[in-house]
Amino acid sequence: MTPAIPRISLIWLLVAQALVILPHLAHLPLWFTGLWAFCAAWRLQIFRMRARYPNGLAKAALILATAAGVFWSRGGLIGLEAGTALLMATFVLKLVEMRTQRDALVLIYLGFFAVVTAYLLDSEMLSALYSVLPVTALLAAMVGLQQSRLAMQPWPTLRYAGKLLLQSLPLMLLLFVFFPRLGPLWSLPQPGSKGISGLAESMTPGDIANLGRSPEPVFRASFEGATPPRSELYWRALTLEHFDGRRWSQTPDLPVLATDSWQAQGQNLSYSILMQPSLQRWLFALDTARTDLPGARQLSDYRLVNVSPVEQPLLYRVSSWPQVVRDPELRPTQQRRALQLPAGNPRARELAAELKARYARPEQLVAALLTRFNQGEYFYTLKPPTLSGDTVDAFLFDSRRGFCAHYAGAATFVLRAAGIPARVVAGYQGGEFNRQGGYVQVHQFDAHAWVEYWLPERGWQRVDPTFAVAPERIEQGLEAALAEEGSFLEDSPLSPLRYRDVALLNQLRLAWDNLNYGWQRWVLGYQSEQQLGLLQRWFGEWDIQRLVIVLGGGGVLLGLLMALLLLKPWQQRLDAQQRVYRRFERLLARHGVARRPGEGARDYARRAALVLPQQARQIEGFAECFEVQRYAGIASDKGQLAQQLRALRRALPWRLSRLDDGETTR
Amino acid sequence: MRNKLDACLQAVNQVVLGKAPQVQLAMACLLARGHLLIEDLPGMGKTTLSHTLAKVLGLSFQRIQFTSDLLPGDILGTSVFDKESGQFTFHPGPIFAELVLADEINRATPKSQSALLEAMEEGQVTIEGATRPLPEPFFVIATQNPVTQSGTFALPESQLDRFLMRLSLGYPAHAAEKALLQGQGRRAMLSRQEPLLSHRELAELQQLVEQVHASDALIDYVLRLVEATRSQPQFAWGLSPRAALGLLNAARAWALLANREYVIPEDVQAVLPAVAGHRLRERADPSGHGGSALVQWLLREVPAL
Repeated sequence: MTPAIPRISLIWLLVAQALVILPHLAHLPLWFTGLWAFCAAWRLQIFRMRARYPNGLAKAALILATAAGVFWSRGGLIGLEAGTALLMATFVLKLVEMRTQRDALVLIYLGFFAVVTAYLLDSEMLSALYSVLPVTALLAAMVGLQQSRLAMQPWPTLRYAGKLLLQSLPLMLLLFVFFPRLGPLWSLPQPGSKGISGLAESMTPGDIANLGRSPEPVFRASFEGATPPRSELYWRALTLEHFDGRRWSQTPDLPVLATDSWQAQGQNLSYSILMQPSLQRWLFALDTARTDLPGARQLSDYRLVNVSPVEQPLLYRVSSWPQVVRDPELRPTQQRRALQLPAGNPRARELAAELKARYARPEQLVAALLTRFNQGEYFYTLKPPTLSGDTVDAFLFDSRRGFCAHYAGAATFVLRAAGIPARVVAGYQGGEFNRQGGYVQVHQFDAHAWVEYWLPERGWQRVDPTFAVAPERIEQGLEAALAEEGSFLEDSPLSPLRYRDVALLNQLRLAWDNLNYGWQRWVLGYQSEQQLGLLQRWFGEWDIQRLVIVLGGGGVLLGLLMALLLLKPWQQRLDAQQRVYRRFERLLARHGVARRPGEGARDYARRAALVLPQQARQIEGFAECFEVQRYAGIASDKGQLAQQLRALRRALPWRLSRLDDGETTR
Repeated sequence: MRNKLDACLQAVNQVVLGKAPQVQLAMACLLARGHLLIEDLPGMGKTTLSHTLAKVLGLSFQRIQFTSDLLPGDILGTSVFDKESGQFTFHPGPIFAELVLADEINRATPKSQSALLEAMEEGQVTIEGATRPLPEPFFVIATQNPVTQSGTFALPESQLDRFLMRLSLGYPAHAAEKALLQGQGRRAMLSRQEPLLSHRELAELQQLVEQVHASDALIDYVLRLVEATRSQPQFAWGLSPRAALGLLNAARAWALLANREYVIPEDVQAVLPAVAGHRLRERADPSGHGGSALVQWLLREVPAL
């Protein structure tokens, strides 16, 4: 007879299940809610004795149907999403066939596991805080399961669970700080790229305008020392060198830049960047940058790239030297790439020829081009008209309305047509300075494109045609630049970024953002390197081996101490008689007669003698001897008992393994 | 001395047929100076057993039939005005006997019950300001119908605790009942029964019980049993220290009846159902009769060694 599941435990289990499933719902197929409601209702009916447990057939049908459902809605049974869906389905289905305490325990452990898998899908601070709720409810179900005096009352059960959780808090912190961050033992394919927008490897002018509508965060940067003015914050992501008449795209397979190809000079900016997953390999940095991120490299266009696409928030430190001269000499292939132009756009070429005739020096030519943008009837807008045919011509001479990418693309075209090597740089510009946290938050709408042109010996020079059209975009941000048009984030009416002029809301938003940054930086970003750094700061410059030995040794010592305290071996001192008796018991148990806990020596011997009639004399002799020594209060020779045991051992056939009770009594 | 005990048991067993274990328990109870409660349906031989015990042990015997209109004075006795001497003289009640059979104790009101129970505990009674000692030895054998029968007042737990043991006789076995039907009337047998023990011998036996050795290991076992009843959740309440003492004494008497000079765990286990059964209640059913199931649990689960 196995113990049934108490009512309170069942209630808490159902509550816990709801809490566990809730954060998963967004990632689960719709029909899952129905399955869950069905199973919960069935379980309740079983509890009210109005329904029966499913039989084997029904169980098999349920499992097959669920697996088929997952396969159908997730396109397979392998992968993170399908895997979680299967896990959650098991979690829900187990509810129906849960009969005994053991089943309920299985369900509870599954629940803990499901809580952890939620972190795979979402590691925000709020969701981590939320997981305290299901864990508490699961603990309460576990407490209720143990048929204690709390088994009848829901709230004390919950309070007890909460107390347990609070008590485990110091241990949690300790483990968080000291537990070694092991590399993953297996890897799950990460969720697909859908839903993550950002810069792409090629750009038509409209692309960045689309990004300009998105309030998603891209990265945060915190500077050591003063944060530079925002007009200096040109975060390079990639360069676009190839133009096909419509689309700017990057040169594939750029060579890696050797570390000694440029020398640090001038002032240095040090900062760390916490990047949101972009599923791209490039990293964001100010010019000209070096990072200590392992495996990161610098390509020949001076951008930084990671070893693999960034799939999780990534924290890296960068040092930038803005005054470094990049490429004082250009190799012929580079020159060719920086001058490449497709046919077409005759009016732009005409303009280039005209400018070239008037200004001998490239700087003058660039300045004249910027003046043209500044003085001519050019407008900065998020909603540029659609262009066709010779897009550069159409923009420069007809529509004259565009976003940064229009200006950067057109300027690059004209410069190239005038024989000046130039390229489009895509990245982000500016960002929002969070005063409380002292960091810069960059959103997708900070996406930007600007121009670099090359001068002999002075290398690549940055020039931003957007600045000539809409200086407020660079100095104050997109919102100010679009103030007249009113198109800033008009597609996201709920985004708190829209309400930056409400002081209280803005304060709250910035504080919340700061909190999230701290979470990502100090909790999610606390990986093995940071751990080692912290430990070394506390314990001095020890190497890993020594740290592991000391910490591991300390842990083992602590465990031993706790074991001593809990098990109290000094209280379980067995006297000599008892030790001999234990040997007697073990001997007989091997022959199929195990003593029951409530059985006295005499009853046991009698039963054993019935099972082993040939050794009855020795068995009873030993039991009598033990009884007299133990209960009669007659001090006698210790050896006598051992002697009796030896006699019994000799009389019994030699047997090493244990004999089942049933075998001899059958 | 030992032979005399055997002879006593044998004599009782000849009158009360087929109930050897209960007879032995009843004897152990009396040797341990405890009072006995016999609970069973009417007509199962409760009265016969107690009457036989009184005869065999040579004790003066009084029987009080408890009814719902019984008054404390009917048990303890009253002072009656004597016209000739012009004074009140005390007429002792049936309680002043060495073995008192309180028949169907649960038919009387709690007031009358408590008059008896106080006498059991103190060994003396106080009537009209004068304290009068009860005879020595003094035993009470109470019988009661199962409380589920109508017209009964269940004994409260505090009073149940004063009985060392509670026994239940149960229906006789087939052969025993046949012998009973074939044999002569019990009443006639009883009247012919001669006492087998003198008061002195009985006192000596009671002395012997106290001398039976209980080792440390055994007392540990008794403590384990008692502590289990206090710590395990299924018990509504634990055994009292009086119960623990009673258990040990009863086990000693049982050991003496088994002709042993020391107590072993099996002795404790033999008397445990009778000693603890009426003192324990299940938490889930505090008014019910879960005691014997709990005792079985104790016997099974509490480590004996």
